[in-house]
Amino acid sequence: MNRNNQLPMTNSQWSEAAGVRPQLVIGYWLLVICCSAIFAGTLSAKEELVTLPQRDSVQLTIYNSEDLTLVRERRTLSFKQGNNRLQFSWANTLIDPTSVEFHPVGKDAQEALEVLDTSYPAESHEMLIWTVACTKPAGYSVEISYFTSGISWSAEYTGIVDAAENSVDLTAYVTVTNNSGEEYENAQVRLVVGVIHMVERIIDLARPRAQGAPRPMPPAELEELERMAEDEMNEDPSTGMEKPKEIQKAGLSEYYIYTVEGTETIPNRWSKRLRSFVVQDVPLKTVYRLEPDKFGPLFTKVLEFKNDEEHKLGKEPLPDGLIRLYKDAGQGRLGYMGTLASKYIPKNEEVKVNVGPDAECTLKEKRLSLKKKDLVLNRWNQLEGWTTVEEFELEVKNFRGREVEVEIHRSMQGDFDFESDAGFEKHDADTQKVHFTLKADEQRKLAFKVTTRNGTNRRK
Amino acid sequence: MNKRMIFTLAGTAALASVIGISRPTTVEARIKLATLPDKEAVVVRFDHPNQVLVEEERTISLQKGTNTVDFSWAGTNIDKGSIVFRPVDVNSKVEILSTSYPPGEAALTWSIASPDARSEKFRLSYLMANIQRETDYRAIVSNDEKTLTFRHYFKIRNWSGGTFDSADFITRDGKTFEKGLDQGEAKRVLVNKWDKVTLNKEYVYDLTRQREGKVMTDYVLKNTKEAGLGAIPLEYGKVRIYQDDGKGTTAFTGEDWGQFTAVGDDMRLNIGIAQDIKVEFKKMVNDVENRRGNVYDTNEVDEFEIKNFKDSEVELTLVLRVQGEWEMQKDSEGYTGFERVDNETIKFKVKAPAKGAPVKLKFHYKRLNNW
Repeated sequence: MNRNNQLPMTNSQWSEAAGVRPQLVIGYWLLVICCSAIFAGTLSAKEELVTLPQRDSVQLTIYNSEDLTLVRERRTLSFKQGNNRLQFSWANTLIDPTSVEFHPVGKDAQEALEVLDTSYPAESHEMLIWTVACTKPAGYSVEISYFTSGISWSAEYTGIVDAAENSVDLTAYVTVTNNSGEEYENAQVRLVVGVIHMVERIIDLARPRAQGAPRPMPPAELEELERMAEDEMNEDPSTGMEKPKEIQKAGLSEYYIYTVEGTETIPNRWSKRLRSFVVQDVPLKTVYRLEPDKFGPLFTKVLEFKNDEEHKLGKEPLPDGLIRLYKDAGQGRLGYMGTLASKYIPKNEEVKVNVGPDAECTLKEKRLSLKKKDLVLNRWNQLEGWTTVEEFELEVKNFRGREVEVEIHRSMQGDFDFESDAGFEKHDADTQKVHFTLKADEQRKLAFKVTTRNGTNRRK
Repeated sequence: MNKRMIFTLAGTAALASVIGISRPTTVEARIKLATLPDKEAVVVRFDHPNQVLVEEERTISLQKGTNTVDFSWAGTNIDKGSIVFRPVDVNSKVEILSTSYPPGEAALTWSIASPDARSEKFRLSYLMANIQRETDYRAIVSNDEKTLTFRHYFKIRNWSGGTFDSADFITRDGKTFEKGLDQGEAKRVLVNKWDKVTLNKEYVYDLTRQREGKVMTDYVLKNTKEAGLGAIPLEYGKVRIYQDDGKGTTAFTGEDWGQFTAVGDDMRLNIGIAQDIKVEFKKMVNDVENRRGNVYDTNEVDEFEIKNFKDSEVELTLVLRVQGEWEMQKDSEGYTGFERVDNETIKFKVKAPAKGAPVKLKFHYKRLNNW
């Protein structure tokens, strides 16, 4: 917002505005104070106050792994020959004071301007003053950048699975939420996918002033903010109709940057959801799985696809977020299938959505027998070694009128031997797995034997 | 141009009108008043075991350009993240541009682009909490206890805060019924009825189900087409059982919780105690043998004396459990058949003659390698 830009103010007026009437001071204030004489401590009557110009542009780079947003804003300021004092204040926001930087933009500005020092007045935790030396008086574009807490973004996905569960229409969204205390109007929005390393939290650096949430929204401002929440036009020249904004994705080192087309205005405490991409008919596979370490203790239905070109995806990683799946229930209607809180899915990685147990494909396990052998007694006639032999049976029933895939992981503990003719293979040191297909209405029994050496019989 | 429209979830907080507000700067300002679009074709789906999906259609008058449509659901329990909003016509040229969420409100705002002024039908889908569901059954058993008529009821209670003037309710197995449902109201409807379902009556002795050792009377329904069921998995629910008394009326003979029963599985219902059948248990032998240090075997004989005071012979199922490694001994006797269900469980079938003549089951087993 730029409501602060019409008011040339004296220092005392500024203090009053920032301190006495905080309800009206949402954002931060930038005050240019030009001094014809050498600046000597406190502001004097010779100070000249310059009208604060509007922001020319603002860019938000929002990280999803940390409560961190990099704000870059540009303004054109008039500088006079000699030292210019710029006062920058950010009352009622969550800005990290240590991150605020001033950069001249362009060759002329960089040659003419130099930041001599930055002062942090003792009386205010939300203010700094730059002393900028100017060798050639003119209007220059400057960039002020800083970190703020309170702006976040998240990904969400909605999938509509066809009735035969062979494909899914996948729509990805990004939702940006602004609780920073500041309205950024017409901001270019960039979203960073990736985990960055921070040694301190921005919210902690923004304190001690920022204890808890930003101030509540005065009702009088809501109407204007509703207007601001509306989209910037993104007109399709062929139809004259606004179209959903494209979100460009590009890799950068270990990160991906999503750039939202055009600009957005997200008022303080509002969220806005934008469509990131739509992909129709992503091939889908249904596998019934018993994999307790991944999908819990139940035999469960898992819908699977891969983030690769074969599945019409793979252009970029899929940031972590909720994947909600609905089933085409006919006539365009939907049935709810399930939700997965997905982790970051790199390109070429599989996506597996657990939609829960399904009565149409069931699994039961029985222990058919238990025998103990190779009992070893120590010199005090106490048992110190023994071996158990257990026979198990898994019965899988498919009541669906279609062929299904089944994968079962069975873990054992201790020093064991696993024997079976049912097609199991080693998954890891403690786990055997078997993968097979069951025809429509087919049932299958899988037998296996586990021999476990205990006590002194244990070899490993 | 921009048009603002507000509609709410019908019910406790329905708005009387739709208002528009102006949008400055690059778009033409408009103020619109329009009639609140009614909910059409409301469907409440229960196909997910834990979630209820509500779908409704709304016809919205759009202006050419960008329209703003508000949706609010104050007082109702909608999962806002689950909301799916789409034109019903899959080839519609209308586009949903973005969704905004105002602070502290059960509301959102869609920005919708339309190529021309039109009435467009949208379908709104969302998960709604606090619509409770319950399944129950009523069984009318024939006088000879060979078959039964099985009625399947679906009961819904609406605590969601919303009101459904008329909606299609769709059960997990795809049955549809149309009803109105007010906030706080409950309705129960018959969704399935199966006649001449084969019934197996069993007398069961099972200490894990009846700790006092009384004999239970079970009805066992096979959820198969051969038995007259098998069309759908049977949901968990209370089964109330009545029996044809042969005089044109029925008598209530008991109730039980029917467990979820997949197609092909059995639903076992305990209707009460068979007081005319007595089982007396005695431990006849309980010896320790084959000691090796602190390891030993046991030699045990369990004897069950069964008396059937009915006028006709019955078959009793005794479900017995022995933990650990054990072997049944060949001199066990008194049964007509047995099944080792799993390592710990064995089922004996015993014929009990009429009028109290005792019969004994001798279960001789050795538990091996105890310590």
